[in-house]
Amino acid sequence: MIQLENIHKSFQMGPVTVEVLKGASLTIGQGQLMAIVGQSGCGKSTLMNIIGLLDQPTSGTYTLNGKAVAAMNDKDLSEIRNRQIGFVFQQFNLLTKLTALQNVALPLVYRGVGEKERHQAARAVLEKVGMLEREHHRPTELSGGQQQRVAIARALVGNPAIILADEPTGALDTRVGQEIMDLFIRLNREEGITIFVITHDMAIARQCSSFVRMHDGVIHDH
Amino acid sequence: MIIKPNIIEAVNSLVSAKQRSILALIGIVVGIGSVIAMVSVGSIVQKEALRQFMEMGTDVITISEEFSADNSKKNKKLNIQTAMAIPGHCPSIRVASPYASTYAQFKFKGKKDNIPALGVTPSFLTINKLNIDSGRFIHELDRHMFYCVIGQKVADKLAAQGVYDPVGTRIFFKEKQMTIIGKIREAPMGGMRPYEINEGIMLPLSTLQRLDREAAIRNIIARSRDNAARDQIESEVNAYLSQQNLNGMKVRTAEELIAQMQKQMKLFTLLLGTIGSISLVVGGIGVMNVMLVSVAERTKEIGIRRALGAREGDILFQFLVESVLLCIVGGFMGIAIGVGASWIISYYAKWQFAVSYNSIGLGVAVAVAVGVFFGIYPARQAARLSPILALRSD
Repeated sequence: MIQLENIHKSFQMGPVTVEVLKGASLTIGQGQLMAIVGQSGCGKSTLMNIIGLLDQPTSGTYTLNGKAVAAMNDKDLSEIRNRQIGFVFQQFNLLTKLTALQNVALPLVYRGVGEKERHQAARAVLEKVGMLEREHHRPTELSGGQQQRVAIARALVGNPAIILADEPTGALDTRVGQEIMDLFIRLNREEGITIFVITHDMAIARQCSSFVRMHDGVIHDH
Repeated sequence: MIIKPNIIEAVNSLVSAKQRSILALIGIVVGIGSVIAMVSVGSIVQKEALRQFMEMGTDVITISEEFSADNSKKNKKLNIQTAMAIPGHCPSIRVASPYASTYAQFKFKGKKDNIPALGVTPSFLTINKLNIDSGRFIHELDRHMFYCVIGQKVADKLAAQGVYDPVGTRIFFKEKQMTIIGKIREAPMGGMRPYEINEGIMLPLSTLQRLDREAAIRNIIARSRDNAARDQIESEVNAYLSQQNLNGMKVRTAEELIAQMQKQMKLFTLLLGTIGSISLVVGGIGVMNVMLVSVAERTKEIGIRRALGAREGDILFQFLVESVLLCIVGGFMGIAIGVGASWIISYYAKWQFAVSYNSIGLGVAVAVAVGVFFGIYPARQAARLSPILALRSD
């Protein structure tokens, strides 16, 4: 479903060019719960940004559901982000002015879905992550674990092909982090949702059905 | 276009930054308020002037001596007989009333004041559509008599000295004793009515010329017959006057004055509108500033929205809606203030107040235009942020 071949990415830092990805290749299949483990600075976040279409590779090919990403314009990229990808961030990234329900419904706004249907869909996924009774709370009124559940609901609401989770447990304590991992595992098993987790924590990676290691911009199958 | 969520979003954002929004609004409110006040005062004045003309009738004509230093010596002076004979020689003129004016001391019971006086003929009353409040107007038989008809202002002065029924009262004008024979009801000014009617007194023309040898007949007010065309009136009058060796007289019809006045008003409105526009530009820059701050503060939010699938256009539209909304709120406040100001101005100027719906439409249109014009730059900056850089910002 996702195919990365020989991805290079370099950044210009003043006069110096820093190559972060040095020919990373990766395939993520439908229905997988896959982790990528690596120390900070190894380029895993950059890789996720490329997979999530927030950033473009310097070279290499990225094929998503059989389509080459390189040729796409902003409108196409936004549409894919909206319909095929769900993001879960380390810092949750919920909009503080909106309630849990509004946050979850937000991706559907950009599909032009009406308010009633948006809220219906949002309630359905909030229930899935066990947050329905908190639908009218704002992010500041929720604990870290609760916020991350809301963020996962937001990632799920549009029925994406894949959920990209960047250190989803990184800002949570071990117990709450484990709850989030359990949620991912359940969603993957019961709903067959493809999930790609980025982590530096081997304990997290081992719970996934498969994992790869990343070191210095290159991916190693273990 | 995602309109409803964007409007809700914009309202929330503006409300959450209340102080800033209000400060930015002031410029817009003042700008639009002044444009509306100016445009609507302009149209009120124009309507008022036209109303005065309508009240006077459009068949009024004035024949006046043109102000020119040289001519006054060479030219023969217009006399009563020549002036009174105009209707007889010019078929397009129905009736004519020559008048002269002077300015001199008015005295009553030791109280002195300088007032204007008009020397008139009996037809002056009807040509100017004046009404008698009490007593009577000047008659043919009053020739050379020391009789006068007073206007509202003189009546007020006398009332202040205890004379409530002035007819029969004796006053002094230019050291001569005169008897008040009537009082004119206050007439609305404007059109071609001489202002002295309300301000001063009226005497028989012959009396005034006896009092003041310098007071020449410089004006004739007349009415045309059957709405005769301007050109015809002018050529008939000029032909007659030059036959009498009188040159340098200018014929003016109501039609001509109205056209001239409308042209002046248009220029006036344009000028005031320009001043208002300048304050709008200043207000607009304030809005742009607020929007730039808003974009800078919400960089992270923009990144999140982009990650969730917002297109560049969605972000652009979101911020544009915000700035347009801000300006529309300012616009409505400005319209309220502008209409209020023009009401106050017309109340004190005693003009007939009317809400000019054009100016309200203009206010809203200007508000939207300012919102778009000054909002587009910040909105484009927001839309063009790189999603990943925006997401990483704090």
